[in-house]
Amino acid sequence: MKNKVYLQGYKLKAIWVILALIIWESIARFSSVTSLAFPSLTLIGKALIESIISGEIINQMAFSLGLIILGLIISILLALIMSSLSIINPIVENLVDTCISIFHPLPGIALLPLIILWIGTGYKAVVFIIIHSVLWPMILNMVAGFKAIPQVYKKIGRNYEFSTGKIISKIYIPASLPYIIAGLKIGWARAWRAAISAEMIFGATGGKGGIGWYIFNKRVFMDTPGLFAGLIVIIIIGILVEDLAFGKLEETTIKKWGIS
Amino acid sequence: MKKIVIIGFIFLTLLVSACSGQESKKEIRIAEQYGIAYAPVQIMRHKAFLEEEIPGVKVSWEQMINTAAIREAMVADKLDVGFMAIPPFYIGWDKGMDWKIFTGLSTVPVGLVASKDINSLKDITNDHRIALPQPGSIQHILLSMACDREFNDPNKMDNLLVTLSHPDGMNALLAGSEIDAHFTSTPYLETELKDNDYHQILSGEEAFGRDYSFIVGVTTKKFHDGRSDLYKGLNRAMAKSIDFINENPHEAAEILTEYFDLPKEEILEYITSQDTNYSNIVKGTKSFSDFMHKTEYIYPNLIMI
Repeated sequence: MKNKVYLQGYKLKAIWVILALIIWESIARFSSVTSLAFPSLTLIGKALIESIISGEIINQMAFSLGLIILGLIISILLALIMSSLSIINPIVENLVDTCISIFHPLPGIALLPLIILWIGTGYKAVVFIIIHSVLWPMILNMVAGFKAIPQVYKKIGRNYEFSTGKIISKIYIPASLPYIIAGLKIGWARAWRAAISAEMIFGATGGKGGIGWYIFNKRVFMDTPGLFAGLIVIIIIGILVEDLAFGKLEETTIKKWGIS
Repeated sequence: MKKIVIIGFIFLTLLVSACSGQESKKEIRIAEQYGIAYAPVQIMRHKAFLEEEIPGVKVSWEQMINTAAIREAMVADKLDVGFMAIPPFYIGWDKGMDWKIFTGLSTVPVGLVASKDINSLKDITNDHRIALPQPGSIQHILLSMACDREFNDPNKMDNLLVTLSHPDGMNALLAGSEIDAHFTSTPYLETELKDNDYHQILSGEEAFGRDYSFIVGVTTKKFHDGRSDLYKGLNRAMAKSIDFINENPHEAAEILTEYFDLPKEEILEYITSQDTNYSNIVKGTKSFSDFMHKTEYIYPNLIMI
């Protein structure tokens, strides 16, 4: 029964998408707008296929995803350490809180001029911006998750005479997994945005600049269909990660354990 | 029902206001750009030469961040006149933009600055990194031209390029960590050369083979054909501004201090330098288009404009 509802949802979504594509194509074909501003689907499709065959778009996407994954892993580790410490020690908690109030509202892109001076313009700078965008919301979510754990769980841990490390790894993390996954989702979305905007500004080093640079380059050469090809690939990756990767993660952990 | 009527009315007004064109009004929309190479544009604005040549004209100065933004604004019909180098003009032309070069504007010193351990293009290896404003910019095309002449391979250095704006590129070069060479122009070029650790290994003229227009004025065909009165006035005002800067460099430098963050003496030095030339003659279009065609930056057969 539940599956059927899902399927219908997908069918409906497909209908919306097809409808949007039909409207798009008719505007491109029958109105007076120039194809420079509004290319037809055929042109976009051709640009997409060409850049997939040449491997350009795949390579740039792989480069971007590599940076994002690296940034996410570092952020998760840092967030785990900082939230665990702040749960254990109120002084650390205060420090982490202060950092969050200062840095969380600061967009990574606003830091760009500083980052160029301090770190330079290579991939390290992009990873830095990704970490900055992901870390603070991730800590917020983790700490909120840790705090929402029922007292009983903690007491059980103490009853078994678990060490602090074991309490965190065996009780805190699994019990707050819904929060952590929500934090991951936010982190992913923010990392994605941060990486693309940073790449569009930093440009490529040695021809490798990621998908943001790919789009920037298409803009510079006024290749509007190519620009749309880049956007389509970004949308596809977004859907894949949201629906498949996170969906799967939730199914095998919190849904299975019944804590969602 | 009442709501629907109101919403319909709002839509209608929006539609009408969006469609009402500029045709009836005497208006010129010009991109506002800063730099020594654009000095005559600032003079034209300051001395109100456009208003003088076309009585009753309304001049809108639009802030534009770069060449790509100017092209996009022109495609969207939000801009009539802009200033850029010849290669970006051809890229737009190649992609189907119907526009023209209406005047030459300036030639300023352009060059590739490198650290002292690099003495010529031959010394640049795959481990070096060259900063320039963006692919397809005049700096990029000039570098390709030099590589074509020197190594018979115009794309030889394409994988060494780092896209950075002029000020960022200068900071990165002088910081001395990642960037080994910077293709830039006045006044960043002169600032970098003041540092004894850096020297120029290629000038724009060496790369191009002779002199050329660095910045030209461009306008849409729609503006040229539809508003020939304004177009002619624009050309007269442009010529007047260029003459003014050539004939009264001191006064021009004084005016420009209001627009640039530089002392008067320095501006005077730049605008009267032997290598800086303000002229409304367009030079080098054919060589640029031939080269860009040969190297497949642009594709169709170009007609001379």
